[in-house]
Amino acid sequence: MTPSVSSVGTEHGEYAHLLPLQRRYAELSPDDPERPRLREQLINGYLPVAEHIARRFAGRGEPVDDLMQVATVGLINAVDRFEPDRGSDFFSFAVPTITGEVRRYFRDHGWATRVPRRLKDLHIAIRSTLSELSQQLGRAPRPSEIAERLRLPVSEVIEGLQAGEAYRSSSLDEMLGSGEGKATLGEFIGGLDSELGLIDDREALRPLLAQLPPRERTIIALRFFRQLTQTQIAEQVGISQMHVSRVLRQTLAYLHEQMAGLD
Amino acid sequence: MTYVDRDYSASNGGARPDGPPPKDSTLSVELRTAANTVVIATIRTVAADLAARADFDLDSIDDLRMAVDDLCAMLVRIASQDATLRCRFTARPERIEVAADVEVEDGTEPPPTRSFSWRVLECLADDVSAEALPRELNQRSRICITVAKNAATAQEP
Repeated sequence: MTPSVSSVGTEHGEYAHLLPLQRRYAELSPDDPERPRLREQLINGYLPVAEHIARRFAGRGEPVDDLMQVATVGLINAVDRFEPDRGSDFFSFAVPTITGEVRRYFRDHGWATRVPRRLKDLHIAIRSTLSELSQQLGRAPRPSEIAERLRLPVSEVIEGLQAGEAYRSSSLDEMLGSGEGKATLGEFIGGLDSELGLIDDREALRPLLAQLPPRERTIIALRFFRQLTQTQIAEQVGISQMHVSRVLRQTLAYLHEQMAGLD
Repeated sequence: MTYVDRDYSASNGGARPDGPPPKDSTLSVELRTAANTVVIATIRTVAADLAARADFDLDSIDDLRMAVDDLCAMLVRIASQDATLRCRFTARPERIEVAADVEVEDGTEPPPTRSFSWRVLECLADDVSAEALPRELNQRSRICITVAKNAATAQEP
C-alpha cells in the first residue's frame, strides 16, 4: 500500500518552511560549501515523512528501526535527486522514492547472498507457478513446463531456479511455525522402526532422529523410509516443495555431521 | 577445477543451447578437484544444472543434487591425504549418471551399504553402487561410487 501524499502533509502545510531551502539546494553547484549544511537541514526537516512511511510497513517481520534506516536512505536519495524545475512538488517525488526503497528492502532481505534483481523477480515468478503446476501434473513440474506457463525461454527458468538456491533458508522456528499438525508423528514411528532394523548405524541414528523437531523427523521419515517424493511430502505436511527441499537438506546435513562426530 | 570434457554429440544437428537437448544427445562433463568438502557445493551445482537442462522435474533435480552432495561427502570422508576427487557426469535426456572416485589408503573398504547414508542415497537415486577400483600401476587405490537418476519421478511408493 502506498501512503497517500495528503496523509503526510503538503508543501503548503507543516513543511512549507523547507521549500525555499529546497530551491536553494537545487541551485547550488555540487561543490558549493553550503550544500552539506543545507542537505542536512532538508533531511532532518523531512525526517517525519520517512518515519511515517516506515511505520506503515511495521508489523511485517522486520524491526521498525531497520525500516526507519531504510526509509531515511530513501529520503536522502529523494532530497539529492529532486529537481524543483520539473514542476512536480517534493512529496509526489519523495513518497514513491522512500516507499520504493522500503519495498526493495523487503524484497532483498530474504536473500542470503547478493543475487541480481532480475533473477529474484524471476525466481518469485517461478515459485508462484509451482503449486498450481504440481497439482495439475500430479508431480513436480519440469523446467520446460514452467517455461511454457511463464512464456519464457527454458534457459531463463533454469537461471531462476539456480537463483533460488541463494534464498535464505528458513530458520527452525519458521519451519515449526507453519502448518503444524497436519501430519501426526505417531503415524510414522512404526514404519520408521521396522525400516531402521535394516540399517547398521541405527544405534547412532535413532537418538539423533528422536532429537529432531517433529516436523523434521516426519519429513525425513516420509522421504527416506516411506520413499515419498518431495511433492507428495509437501502435500501431506502442508508446506511447499521448496520448503520440503530445504528441510531435507538441512536435516540431512545435520544428521551426517552428528554421525561423523560419533565415529 | 577444470572441465575436462564438454562434448555435445548429436546426430541431428547438435543440441540447442536453449531447451532440452535432442533425444539422442549425450552430454558428458568431468570435474577433477581436491577431495575437500569446500568443492562439494560446486559439484552438486553442476549436477543440478545438468538435470535441469535435461528437463528433469524439480523433485528429480533436487534428489540428484542431494545424492551428489551425499556421495561426495562419503568419498571425502574416506579420502587419503592430498587425494584427488574425480566426478564424471553423463547426461542423457532420460538419465543422468554420476561416477565419482577418490584416492584412498590401501585396504580402505567401500562405504557400508547398510548405513543410513547409503539408505539415503538409494532413496534419492535410481541405481547406486560402490566398488574398489582395480589398482593401476604406480597409482593409489581408488574407491568409486556410481549413482544414476532417471528423469521420471517415481509415482506411488
